[in-house]
Amino acid sequence: MRLLALALLATTAFAGDTWDRAVEKGVLRWGADEEGGGPFVFRDDEDRLQGFEVDLADAIGRYLGIRMEFVQGQWDRLPDMLRADKVDLVLNGYEWTPDRVLAMEATAPYYVYALQLLARKGTLRSWDDLRSGGPRKVGCLAGSAAHEVMLRLAEEGAPLEVVGYDGNTDAMKHVETGNLDATLQDTPIASFYAPHFPGLGPVGDPVAPGYYVMYAREGDHRLVNRLNEALIVLFRNGELERIYGRYGIWTPEQEQLATILETGRFYGFQKAALSEAAARTDATAGEVRAGERRRGWAVVTTYGMQLVRAAGVTVLLSLVSFPLAVATGLLIALGRIYGPRWLRPPLAFYVEFLRGTPLMLQLYFVFFFLPELGVNIPAFGCAILGLAINYSAYESEIYRAGIQAVPKGQMEAALSLGMSRLTALRRIVVPQAARIVVPPVVNDFIALFKDTSVCSVVTIIELTKRFSVLSQSTQATVELMLMTGALYLLMSYPLSIVSRRLERGLEAA
Amino acid sequence: MIEVLGLVKRFGHVEVLSGISLSVEAGEVAAVIGPSGGGKSTFLRCINGLEAFDEGEVRVSGFTLGPRAHDARTLQAVRESVGFVFQQFNLFPHRTALGNCIEAPVHVLGEPRDVAAARAREMLCRVGLAGREDAYPKDLSGGQQQRVAIARALLMRPKAILFDEPTSALDPVMAAEVLGVMTDLAKQGQTMIVVTHSMHFARSVANAVHVFAGGRVVESGPPERVFSDPQHETTRAFLREAGVKGA
Repeated sequence: MRLLALALLATTAFAGDTWDRAVEKGVLRWGADEEGGGPFVFRDDEDRLQGFEVDLADAIGRYLGIRMEFVQGQWDRLPDMLRADKVDLVLNGYEWTPDRVLAMEATAPYYVYALQLLARKGTLRSWDDLRSGGPRKVGCLAGSAAHEVMLRLAEEGAPLEVVGYDGNTDAMKHVETGNLDATLQDTPIASFYAPHFPGLGPVGDPVAPGYYVMYAREGDHRLVNRLNEALIVLFRNGELERIYGRYGIWTPEQEQLATILETGRFYGFQKAALSEAAARTDATAGEVRAGERRRGWAVVTTYGMQLVRAAGVTVLLSLVSFPLAVATGLLIALGRIYGPRWLRPPLAFYVEFLRGTPLMLQLYFVFFFLPELGVNIPAFGCAILGLAINYSAYESEIYRAGIQAVPKGQMEAALSLGMSRLTALRRIVVPQAARIVVPPVVNDFIALFKDTSVCSVVTIIELTKRFSVLSQSTQATVELMLMTGALYLLMSYPLSIVSRRLERGLEAA
Repeated sequence: MIEVLGLVKRFGHVEVLSGISLSVEAGEVAAVIGPSGGGKSTFLRCINGLEAFDEGEVRVSGFTLGPRAHDARTLQAVRESVGFVFQQFNLFPHRTALGNCIEAPVHVLGEPRDVAAARAREMLCRVGLAGREDAYPKDLSGGQQQRVAIARALLMRPKAILFDEPTSALDPVMAAEVLGVMTDLAKQGQTMIVVTHSMHFARSVANAVHVFAGGRVVESGPPERVFSDPQHETTRAFLREAGVKGA
């Protein structure tokens, strides 16, 4: 009851206008996924946040007089984060689509993209080669507009096998290695990563143009108006062209933005601040490139520390959540065996429910659903809570099995000597159960340790997510994979040794 | 000392004890004999509250246990005054012989560890286990384990000790060791209730013999009378089967 009241209270607190709150706090939180990589949002070799969307956000912030705070989120979960009030706007290569506009408020477009077909040089001459000829394999970012286009082409009878990828550049890499015949990419990606894939070339002209827009929460009209105003000013004073130029993605098509913005075809307002100075600065074309494609030791020395720092997050998550899981699990096990009869069914349900549903789903629940009830826990807290609750179910089953493996006669002998139930448990049953459960508990700890990687869905960047972000932006997958694997092993192997020591210690006791 | 009145115990629909009444005086050795499945062990376990019962009453040195739920404090008081020796010994495998013996004196009676240990050494010596104090149960023979179990029970200075078929899991030589210890105890005036298959022990050591069959006491009396002149047909059949002459 109290929780519900609290929830209602909290909900009303967040119902206020996002723009008002942003002004009051001086901060606007924008969500994007580093894993999307260049040129959108990525980390450079010095671990600094880079990307045309980072620069755009900063420019908007300067215009609005508000600090723009970057919030990491998994790309396809960004709308959920918006709804759960984890961010105030989504700015990450999100296309304008009718479906999205139904659920969120869109700003005017800030970039005109198109889809570029890429293949190994000399293998394909035109789109017609895809429609006829031998069967071909093409790959795209799963769920993207490019993916849709390819699927439709295959449906129309083109001899194509369409493969969906999770990362932007994975498909490009597979074209390079020959696993795929072609890939369809958004023009910014195709041009930004061209230096990494010298073997690939464009096939025909870009097709199916579309617009990247920012999305805000439904009803946040004032915020959207302010953002549109900023876009108009940035376009008029040439800042937009300068930013895009830095990343080598300014194209003649961007002039369309002028028409859209100036005539206000989307929203019909744009009077504000049109008098802003329009002193055009010259764009230095392609100042920020994808960087050189490193190999071998250079990868270790350049990105090693980033991975080590991410490993620290993994260790922290495990060390905080596991003791909680152990304590909760022990209480549940004791409750199920020795607790009052009415307590046993709910505890059994707790265990079955948590074992029977995926950890990822539970994390989503804590992170995205609880905020709708007004309970807003920071990402790190969500991760700890999710892991601890999930693993408490497994722990309790281990302890239950361990306690039940101690013969009934032990408890009876202890009771017959006049011990209380608690003393009997503490002195006789639990010590005997302990040596039985040590190996499976350590095993579980190692499993949890690796399961922390699932926490990336609640925006935590731990070791695996950092690996996947880096491998998207550098393509040095093999080196990064070996390093990441070595780090995990380096951390989990000592646990196995401790476990063996512990077992021997208990044996001797 | 121990008084049982109209004890009824059911497992589901099966009535395993159908109104047992029996009393044991201080210093008395009562032997409980009879065919398997007659409710002997269940009866013993009801006395110290290891089993709840459905009807009747158990009175142990001033404390009374009633049907079903028992108050935890009363239970503990009863168990402190009545020791229990199991057929399967039930020693604590993670403790040495000495450790088994001092566990309850230290953690129930609150005795200092060294005092409890000194008493335990003396007691282990009395049951013929001097020098085996530091052995773990797995390194002891069955007979030795059962003697540790008896020492463990005695160290709580119980008013009575309940023995649940203490020699059934032992070969004849080891059984003789254990029965020897029990005979000594009887001579020193220790109150005991012994569920046993050893007719020799019942006949030569007990002051009273109770014959259980089908959840009832079919016959009670001094051992000489019960063995040489059984009144009940069930007793005669049981004694014939057990190979007792004159039945």
